[in-house]
Amino acid sequence: MLTVDDVVVRYGSATALDRVSLHADAGEMVALIGPNGAGKSTLVNAISGLVPIESGSIVTGGRVAQVPEGRQMFADMSVVDNLVLGAWRSGDRDPSRIFDLLPALRDFANRKAGTLSGGQQQMVAVGRALMADPQILVIDELSLGLAPLIVADLAEHLRTINQEHGTTVVLIEQEVGLALELCSRAYVLEAGRITVSGTTEELADSPAVRAAYFGGLDVGKDVQL
Amino acid sequence: MSTMMAGRRTSTLITRSTIAVLAVVALAMPMLMSDVTFFMQMVLAAIVVTGLSLLMGYAGQASLGQGAFFAVGALTVGIGTTTWALPPVLALVLAPVLASAFAAVVGIPLLRLRGHYLAFGTLALLLMVVAAMNTFDFLGGSFGIAGIPPLAVGSFEITDPRDYAYLALGCLALVLLISRNLINSRFGRGIQALAGSETAAASAGVAVFRAKLTVFAISAAFAGLAGALSAFFTPFISPESFPASRSFEYVIMAVVGGLGALWGGVIGAIAMSVVIEVINRISTQPGLPATAGPILQYAAYAVLLILALLWMPRGLISVLHGVRGRLAAMRT
Amino acid sequence: MSDFITYLVSGIALGCTFALVGSGFVVIHRVTRVVNFAQGTFAVFGGFISYSLLDGILPQGLAQLVTVVACGLIGLVVGFVAIGKPGTDPLIALIVTLGVSIFCAAVFITVWGQDPVSPPGLRGSVSILGADVQRQRLLVVVATLLTFLALSLFFSRTYVGKGLTACASNPRAAALVGINVRRMGFMAFAVGGALGGLAGALISPSVALSFSSDLPFALSGFAAAVFGGLTSPGRTLLGGIVLGVTGQLVAGYLDGSYQTEVALLMMLAIMVVRSSTFVTEEAK
Repeated sequence: MLTVDDVVVRYGSATALDRVSLHADAGEMVALIGPNGAGKSTLVNAISGLVPIESGSIVTGGRVAQVPEGRQMFADMSVVDNLVLGAWRSGDRDPSRIFDLLPALRDFANRKAGTLSGGQQQMVAVGRALMADPQILVIDELSLGLAPLIVADLAEHLRTINQEHGTTVVLIEQEVGLALELCSRAYVLEAGRITVSGTTEELADSPAVRAAYFGGLDVGKDVQL
Repeated sequence: MSTMMAGRRTSTLITRSTIAVLAVVALAMPMLMSDVTFFMQMVLAAIVVTGLSLLMGYAGQASLGQGAFFAVGALTVGIGTTTWALPPVLALVLAPVLASAFAAVVGIPLLRLRGHYLAFGTLALLLMVVAAMNTFDFLGGSFGIAGIPPLAVGSFEITDPRDYAYLALGCLALVLLISRNLINSRFGRGIQALAGSETAAASAGVAVFRAKLTVFAISAAFAGLAGALSAFFTPFISPESFPASRSFEYVIMAVVGGLGALWGGVIGAIAMSVVIEVINRISTQPGLPATAGPILQYAAYAVLLILALLWMPRGLISVLHGVRGRLAAMRT
Repeated sequence: MSDFITYLVSGIALGCTFALVGSGFVVIHRVTRVVNFAQGTFAVFGGFISYSLLDGILPQGLAQLVTVVACGLIGLVVGFVAIGKPGTDPLIALIVTLGVSIFCAAVFITVWGQDPVSPPGLRGSVSILGADVQRQRLLVVVATLLTFLALSLFFSRTYVGKGLTACASNPRAAALVGINVRRMGFMAFAVGGALGGLAGALISPSVALSFSSDLPFALSGFAAAVFGGLTSPGRTLLGGIVLGVTGQLVAGYLDGSYQTEVALLMMLAIMVVRSSTFVTEEAK
């Protein structure tokens, strides 16, 4: 469904992505983890077609929709309007199916998106992306700034969407536990290069990954593997 | 390595010789011309635009009404020498001071806002100064202020227009010297950082607001000085002396010459003055309607401005640098 | 008292045109972050084109409609010049639009000459509270209110209008969702052009326009827009009316015509106040 092959992206003289390759099959949930500044957002934007690639190729088997880092709401517009705009390129402009999928949205459907909490905004962002009826959903930092309970709730919804609609999900996450829990395979991006890749079990067992990422985890977080 | 050094030496040689030639020509001009007015206007414009170029190039602000400070300078001389009977030299020195004071009053609030507020703010200030002149008699009323005494140092009076032209040239040299020292100083490096990125400059410790305000005040001082010289030269001022279009011309000269470049103001003033002369010659050809003049003038200004902004953002200076570079390369 | 009513009505009518020009500033600024100096030029086009059309080519009503459409197209062209080159800094774009307004002055003189021009409008007057009020001025007020209503509905109810609002609200998210922000910018310029043109077409029967009228329009329109922080059309309307009425009252009861200067003074005052309250969103 998604094939990224040897992609190079440069910003001026700096190389943001250095021959990055990854793939996701239809219906898979794939994680991309790595430290800040590794180039994860650049890769996400490249897949969404927002950033030009210098070399290599990105082949998508269907529509791509992005849930951006930091939610990126249309703050002075209502939740309904935010959703409706998600269908600008494709998809039915009637948001009822999104309300069916994410019923909690109904509670604040007419409020201005800027007045919502982080978790609520994140749900709107996911809903907005889904309005485009994408085959591939790219999510950039789902858990950023959100409480664990809310993240767990969102994760459940993502699982449902993936299982019931077969949507391929690419999850970019700093919260490694979440990424490995939700996804079947994962890639590690460091300084613009894929350094490790494999199934989530393999990654969880890998001492390098454990040292680099589990060592830096918040003590309070539970890592279920 | 030695080729590069030789190339740079040749570049400097070319620059120095060009400046020398320009200086000689400038000094000779008043002698050769029968009507010094055109030359004087050009030199005064160069003084104003040198300041404006600093403002636009380094502080990243546009001033659509720089003429406001020119007017304040002229009024200082006009009222100072007639109503207040100040010695002319004192009025001349006071002019840039008052002009920068006005700039500070407007700049302190407006420089906090986005650039377009200052752009319109200075234009508003200019129009209000002109309106005030029209309304209040002590500012001249609709007839303006006449009978400005000649600039005098002691008992030595300057009455010959050519002498004023040389004085203006001297002031231009002073203005250029101040600008150059400013750009090369530590403060100058700070404002150059400002031109690149405000946030980067701020994190490097540059007092962004104060830097912008200083550059703005200096540009106003230059304009005020030019206004004062103009008042002595003409020697009267009226509300019609400061049209908004003149301020737009300053912007065009700044852009065409090269924003932030030391000689940008001079180059821009010369270039535009040449264009105006050419247009005047063309539009007074027999067979053309009387409106040909303004039409051609507006069209030329607009086209030059837009072309320069979109395709030659570093102005003619950059083109000249390119030529100098190629000449230097040829020698080595 | 009847004097007061006359000044009030003509002030409101004038203020409505400032508000229309000002709302053009607002639409363009919100979507593109650019202040369009040529906004006043659109008003002059509105006056001149309607004058020419009403000179035996089209009847009343239709002429104004065609004028507004034509000014919308002119706005589109100005948009191409101002923001067509990707990566143009908004302040540079402002000066580009200054250049455009200067160029258009040349066009005005070439096509229509240097003399002021005033197309025929609604004739006759109506008596309100004992004062003689020109029908044309009432038309201006009604047309303006209808336009603002239509604008408001356009931005909040139509899909394209929501897209424009989205561009203004969060350009990054707008691009993400697939909105062509550049194209929206051009559209904003077209809307700005139409609004300016309407202002000119409405006021020119009462106030003759010439090739240099763009500057007072631009300044008063910008002043009205500053009232609304360059973002709120509603407050722009209010600001325009306040500016228009104040100017007419000053002109009527004091000597001379200082319409523009009054607007400028108030504009400077608002800008100074704004800088001290320092609303970061609008300020920087």
